[in-house]
Formats: sequence, structure tokens, C-alpha cells
Amino acid sequence: MSVSSEFILDVRGIAIAFGGLKAVQDFSLRIPRHGLYGLIGPNGAGKTTCFNLLTGVYQPDSGEVTLDGERLNGRKPHQIAAAGLSRTFQNIRLFGELSVLDNVKLGCHLRGRHAIAGTLLRTAYYTGQERAIESRSMELLEMFGLAARAGEQSKNLPYGDQRRLEIARALATEPKVLLLDEPAAGMNPQEKLELRALIRKVRDQFGLAILLIEHDMGVVMNLCEHITVLNFGQTIATGSPEKVQNDPKVVEAYLGTE
Amino acid sequence: MNRLIDHTRQLSPPRWTVLPRAVWPLLAGVVVALIAYYLVGPNISGFSSKLMLIAGTNIILAVSLTVVNGFTGQFSMGHAGFMAVGGYISATITYYGSIKLLGTAEFAGGALSWTGSGAHAGPFIGKGDLIFVASCIMGGLGSAAAGYIVGLPSLRLRGDYLAIVTLGFGEIVRVLLQGTPDQVQPWKASQAVDTPWYELLIKLGGPKGFNLLPTYTTLFWVYLFVVLTLIVCYRLKTSSSGRAFLSIREDEVAAQAMGVDVTKYKVRAFVIASFFAGLAGGLYAMDIGAINAGDLGFQKSFDFIIMVVLGGMGSISGATLAAIILTLLPEVLRDLPPVWPAGLVLLGIMAVVQAVRKHWHVKSLVGVGIGTIVLEGARQFCLSQGINIADFRLILYALLLIVMMIARPQGLFGIREVWELFGRKKKAVGSGQ
Amino acid sequence: MTQFLQTLFDGVTVGCLYALIALGYTMVYGILKFINFAHSDVFALGVWLSITIASWLGIGATGQPTPAWYMGLLVLMGAMVICGLVGFTIERVAYKPLRKAPRLNVLITAIGVSLLLQNLGQQKFTFGPYPKSFPTLMESSSLFSVSGVQVRLSDVAVIGTAVVLMAALQYLIYHTKLGSAMRAVSFNTRNASLMGINVDRVISFTFIVGTMLAAAAGFLYGLKYEGQAKQTADSMWVMLGLKAFVAAVVGGIGNVRGAVLGGLLIGLIEFFGVAYLSSQYRDAYVFAILILVLLLKPEGVLGKATVEKV
Repeated sequence: MSVSSEFILDVRGIAIAFGGLKAVQDFSLRIPRHGLYGLIGPNGAGKTTCFNLLTGVYQPDSGEVTLDGERLNGRKPHQIAAAGLSRTFQNIRLFGELSVLDNVKLGCHLRGRHAIAGTLLRTAYYTGQERAIESRSMELLEMFGLAARAGEQSKNLPYGDQRRLEIARALATEPKVLLLDEPAAGMNPQEKLELRALIRKVRDQFGLAILLIEHDMGVVMNLCEHITVLNFGQTIATGSPEKVQNDPKVVEAYLGTE
Repeated sequence: MNRLIDHTRQLSPPRWTVLPRAVWPLLAGVVVALIAYYLVGPNISGFSSKLMLIAGTNIILAVSLTVVNGFTGQFSMGHAGFMAVGGYISATITYYGSIKLLGTAEFAGGALSWTGSGAHAGPFIGKGDLIFVASCIMGGLGSAAAGYIVGLPSLRLRGDYLAIVTLGFGEIVRVLLQGTPDQVQPWKASQAVDTPWYELLIKLGGPKGFNLLPTYTTLFWVYLFVVLTLIVCYRLKTSSSGRAFLSIREDEVAAQAMGVDVTKYKVRAFVIASFFAGLAGGLYAMDIGAINAGDLGFQKSFDFIIMVVLGGMGSISGATLAAIILTLLPEVLRDLPPVWPAGLVLLGIMAVVQAVRKHWHVKSLVGVGIGTIVLEGARQFCLSQGINIADFRLILYALLLIVMMIARPQGLFGIREVWELFGRKKKAVGSGQ
Repeated sequence: MTQFLQTLFDGVTVGCLYALIALGYTMVYGILKFINFAHSDVFALGVWLSITIASWLGIGATGQPTPAWYMGLLVLMGAMVICGLVGFTIERVAYKPLRKAPRLNVLITAIGVSLLLQNLGQQKFTFGPYPKSFPTLMESSSLFSVSGVQVRLSDVAVIGTAVVLMAALQYLIYHTKLGSAMRAVSFNTRNASLMGINVDRVISFTFIVGTMLAAAAGFLYGLKYEGQAKQTADSMWVMLGLKAFVAAVVGGIGNVRGAVLGGLLIGLIEFFGVAYLSSQYRDAYVFAILILVLLLKPEGVLGKATVEKV
């Protein structure tokens, strides 16, 4: 228990193979409460596969994932979300036809009760919950600067806004650990700067741990306290940004051998 | 930031406001039903009120199918099968229930179920009515149970596989029902009183159908249930469960990642939709006075699919409109009234709306204008050649379906409701704070 | 024993028909990943075209002598060519604009095409709403009998033609350039087009082949049930097609050998069910098998282990 109280997310040696391809091998990671960790690596290194393993989209062939003392292996994605692990997607997966507000409301869904009788009869509890969902969602949208667009269809938002909306939606599930899959992709330098501040603010204000995949080294090196580097499904380096940056294996993975 | 559950308690409205919210749909249903029965019914022809009855059941069926095919984006092709399950259950309960409890299979209803000519002499609500309403609800529940059984295992399947399984389910239901023994004829009711329940319940008429049912379904009952169906489905759509349904349709992976129990909500949609399909089956059986599984094969399911698709996958008002239009269309086509007055009225309305919104959309006006001219021309041509378009209506539907999928795949209204199309953007900031 | 053998024989004969139709479903599914719901109507079209062409040729009317063997072949060819053209047109007009649309939209379109074909077929200017009977193209007397099982010439012709067509298809898919293009498109459409394969042409060709096989099945169906009057507006056509679809799914959809296996399986199950259980539930057996297979082994009997998609 001492481990689980110090580290919120404890990943021990998870692995998965697709056919003959070992997409992720022996991946281990421990994230402390309020930690801000990074996961980097060249394209196809298995970063998103790791996220899919953690969130139950794939089941690991071996290894163990523990979130705040709870074992996550064998659980379905929605149960893992309920346990407190939320994520965003590399290729934005918003509910396009729905409004921006409804997207965040769907994030709140998890923490509510949705009995069918209450829904149809519009009981006091149901109504109160809808109001709570609405006010909470609007708070989140305001924090992310999207309140003015709450009524728009989310598919009509500009790219950067869509990325931020995904984070807002993930936060609405009240996670203990937030996984961000390339949050800065497609953003301009100014937006990236703002995103950095935003991610820090999210971590501090919500008191959660964040693990992010990012290609933009500026974002990763500035933001993350600890970085894991993947290449061909294997962890090739792990440690502080400075340490990782100077690791010859990492340089080799990114630039190739001379 | 506070947790959601803490907010919920603070924001719950006072208890006394809850009762009206829970009850008004029922009152609205009763009021609409009374208007339909006492004001509309007597003032239109018998044929028109028959059409109104059919339109009503079709609305229930189309709107309930919208919950599955529209909200959750699954594809059920067995809606007529659920209708058959419910219809046969309620026919059985009404017919044999009347025999067992009242000693006769004759009509034993009150004023609200009176379909005969002249004034009704009996009570306002008769014993037969109670059996009838109970049977319809039992039919709905039985159908919902069937929906659960079909839904649960088959929901692991992808869209088109599910479509085939539901289709297969409908066909199995049809075949099984057609394999049942002959019914006990009404004139043998007195002997049947002593026959045990379990022996009666399987005598459903087989291939000949279940006939000579007492007819209780009037405009009152149909429109009572139409209003209830509409309100229930609308409340579902605009609730947290409704958002969960729509999220599955939009992106199943993301929905799961947000903690939506996809399987649970898919089954829920199935159960709700089949409940109403079963209910409509009961209304249908006791409207015609007969039900035959042979009429409720997959071809019948296609009728409802067409309604849902045309209305817009997910639009309750769209499905309602499509159900009404498709019910009336064969009759309209048979007589073929002039098209241009309707076209002019439509143009006028559009012009006024656009003027009010100060947003002119010339293309749509021209489109309607040209459409009117073309349709009117086609009508003149058909009249001069003595062609009856009603004969070609099924071809028209089929073409409409194909053209619709190519030109406007989201249907007439998409997931939006009719009133959301006119003016005001969907309100952005919440009301209840 | 005789009943068993007779049932076996009938099951195999009808199973061959199912297999021919199932091939069309499976080929289209393999490439476009959607259920071509209109395929069963193309099969029905094959039946009616055979009747019509036969009557044009002046054969098969009652009282006339049995026509020469090549006349039957002529009818078969005619039906196959016309159906192939219809299949080509359907694909180009209705399905091609929806290449990138969600699969449900394509399914709905297919239902639309199915309804269109059904209702067009009943019109006075096409086949008319009245029942017609299949012409007699062959001696209907039994050819020989094996331990009490009557084997008619037409049955032999049905099985023989089906086997020849399936062998031809097998050759086409695995031993021709076009066949490897089809397999490539089925495996990965985008990569195939990057490799310089004209995907649209391959798809059109697949449709043509599939519908021609369905037309052949229609002709053979008429051969088997010669003399029986059938209506155009009968859900049995769709039912037959659906059973063939079930066969494709049971065998493993997208898998050519699976379709053949599934067809035979469904034919046998149907006929043994009718012979030994009850004829009343004929259609229920098939769908019960479908649901069972989908729940236990959704990828079908031949499944993914031998991914020989087309």
C-alpha cells in the first residue's frame, strides 16, 4: 500500500503483440500524485498503443496496471474511466454532431446517476443533476475559453479549440490521471505556449497526475518532470528531461546512427 | 472544483415542483386524445379517421425505431417482429382474457372505445377497456423482454450484422407464430371458459392469423399513446441518457473512454424501442380486429425504416412527419390534388420566415418554385395519360431512399427537431442556474 | 435410408444454388464491406429473365417438345449478361457515390435498390404482377436412381453448372491478373489504388461477376422447379436471397470457399430440418443457425484463420 499511496498510477511490465509485431514490450511507469510525466518517441514507437493498453482499448498480453491501488487489468474502457483514468485522442474524437456543451456534459455522464424512471419523470434528483452537469460543464468551458462557443456543433470548431475541448471533456470525468495524446499537434507557437500554461493550471487546480505524449520537444521539455522514451515498443530511456535529452540512445533513435 | 454529486444536491429543485413535471405528459396525452376522439373524429369521414388511426400507430412505430436507429446509430430491421410479439401478446390477453374473465370475446368497452355507429349507451370506461389497456402494456413489456433477449447478445455485433440478426429475429417470430394452432372461435367461448390458461395461450391462429378480436382501438387510445411516446422519446433525447445514446452513434470509442457503458445503453435503446413497438402492435391488432404474422415480416419493417430515414436519423419530429406523410401519401396520390397551391403556400411561408430572420436564401426559394412547377407538370401529364401514380408509389419510395442517401444522407432533419431549424440557435447557456 | 439419401441429395442441390448466390454477397462484402441487400433481387431478376428469354425463344410452352440442349445454354447466357449489366448499373448509379459514406447509409441505399427492383419487376411493362411458370428446358423424367433416390437430369445440370461456375470463379480469383487485383483491393483498398490498380474498375467487375452468378442461380432455380408457377411479388425471392446471405455469413463473409461451404451447409440444414423436424419452421432453422453462428463464431466457420478475402 505504501507504493500505491505515493504513486497514483503504477504500470508494471505491460506488453502486447499484434501477430508477430511486438508493439509494446515490458513497459513500466510509475507516476506520483500530481506528477506531470511525458512519453516520447519516434513515429510508430508504440506511444498511443501504450495509452490504448492503459485505457482498456486493448488488453495487455502480460503485465499489470494499477490505478490508486485498484488493478485495471481485464476491465472495460468505461470501467477504467470510472476508476479515474481519462484520456484525449491523437486523432481528435469529439462527438461531432453534438454541441460543444454536450460534449463536456458527456464527460460528466460518468459521475451521475441515470435511472430511466428519473429521466422520464424528471424527478428532483434528475433535474438537480442536469443543472449540476450544466453548471460544471460551463465552468470547464470557461476555463478553456470555449464558453462563447458552447452552442456550436463541435465539428465546426477550429483545430486548436477541438484539442482543448477534448481536454475539457476528459476533465469532466473527474479523473485522477489524465492521459493527453499529442495535445499540441496542429497548434501554432502562440497556442502551444498557452497550452503549456493551461496544462500546468489543470494539474494544479484539479490536483491530478498527467501523462502526455508529445512530439513538440519545446512543450515536453518545459512541461514534464520526467520523461520516458519509447522506440520500437521498448523503453530506451527514462528520467528527467536533461538526462533524457543527453542520452545517446535517444539521440540515436531520433537522428539515427551516423 | 466540486464534485458533480455535491452540486446535484444543492441544485435539486424543491420536491413540490416535481409532481407536475412528472404528470403533465399524461394529462397532455389525455387532452389531445379527447380532442382527437370527440372533436376531430366525428367531424371527419370514417375513412379519414381510419387513416388517422393508422397514422397514429405508424408514428409510435417510427418514433420508437428512431431511438435505436437514430439515437444510438444501430440498425434494427426487426421492428415489425417486435410489433408482432406485442400485438400477439395483447391480442391473446384481450381475446382469451375477455373469454376467461367476462365469458365472451365480444366487445365490452365503454364510451372511449366505442367504434359503432350512434351514441354509446354503456359506461364511460368498461371492463373490456381495462383488459385492453392492460393487454397493450403487457404487449409492450413482452416485446421489451424480447428486445432485451435479442439485444443483449447481439450487441457485440457490428452494425450490418446486427441488422441481419434483427431481421432474422423478426422472421423467426413470424415463422413461429404462423406455426401455432387454430384459435378458439368466439362462438365456442362458453366452452373455452373452463379450458386452462396454458392451453389457450398458444392457440394463436397460425397461418390464418388471429381474427375476430374485439376492436377497442379508437382515436382516443391511439393518440393517448402517441403523445406519451413522443414525450417519452423527447425526454430521453434531451436527457443525460439521450446524450449517451447520441455519443455512441457519434463515436463509440470516445463514448467508452468517457465512461459511457456502451452495451448498457444499446440494450436500453433496444428495450425502449421494442416496448413501444409492442404497444403499437396491440393498438394495431385491436384496431383491425385481427393480426397476422404473415403481414409483419421484414417488408413491414422496411416501411418503418423508410420513415426513420426520411425523417432524419434521430429526429423525433422528423420521424413523426414522415410517418404521417407516408401514411397519407398513397391516398393523396390516388386523387392527386393540384400541387401548385401547396407550393405557393410553402413559398409564402419560407419567404416570411426568411424575411423575419433577415436572411434570404434565394436558392431554396427557386428550388421550391421549380419543384412545384415540375410536380404540377408531372401531374398534368399523368392526368392526361390516365396514369395512376399510386401504382408507382413504392417505386417512388425506393427512388426517394436512394436519392436521399446520396443527396442528403442525414434525412430531412438530421438529428435536429423541426423547430430547431427555424431561427434561434440552440440555446447555449443553461437555464436552470 | 431412402429418405435420408433423398434429403441429402436435395439439400446439396439447393445448397449449390445458395452457394452461387452467396458468392455474390461475399465478393461484394469482401471488397466494399457492406451487405448488398439488393443481391437477392438480382437473383429473382435472373429467374424472371430466364422465363422471359425462354418465351422469346419460343421454348418451354406446354405441348411443345423439349428444346435442344443449347437453347438452355442460350437462355442462361442471356440472363447472365443482362443481369451483369444491371449489376454494373446499380453499382455505378447507387453505390459509387457513397464510397466514402458511413456503411449504414450504403445499407439503406441497398434496401432502396432492393425495393426498387422488386417493385419495378411487378409492373405491367416489365414482368407483370401475374404468376408465371418456369419453362421445361429438359427432360423431367428421372435419369437414374440410386437406392431409391430419383436423380433427374435437371438436378445433375444444376449441380454440374454450379460446380463449373465455382471452378471458373476459383480460377479467376487465384490464377488471373484481375483476380489478384480483386484480392488486393479486398485486402486494402487504399494501398491497392496506390499500387496502380484501378479500384473502380475492379469493383465494377466484382459486381458484374457476382450478379452473373446470381443470374445463373436464378436460371438453375427455374430448371429445378420447372413447371411451377411463381409470382413476382412474393417475399420468397427475398427469402431465398437472405438464406444465401446467411450462407455467406455462416461460411465466413468475404471468404469465397466459405460461401460455398455455407451454401451447402444451409441447404442441408434446411432440408434435413424439413424432413426430420417440421416443414412449418423451414425459414426459422436457417435464421436460428445464423444467430448461433454469429454469437459463437461471428467470423463464420472458415473464419479468419484462412483469410482468403476477395
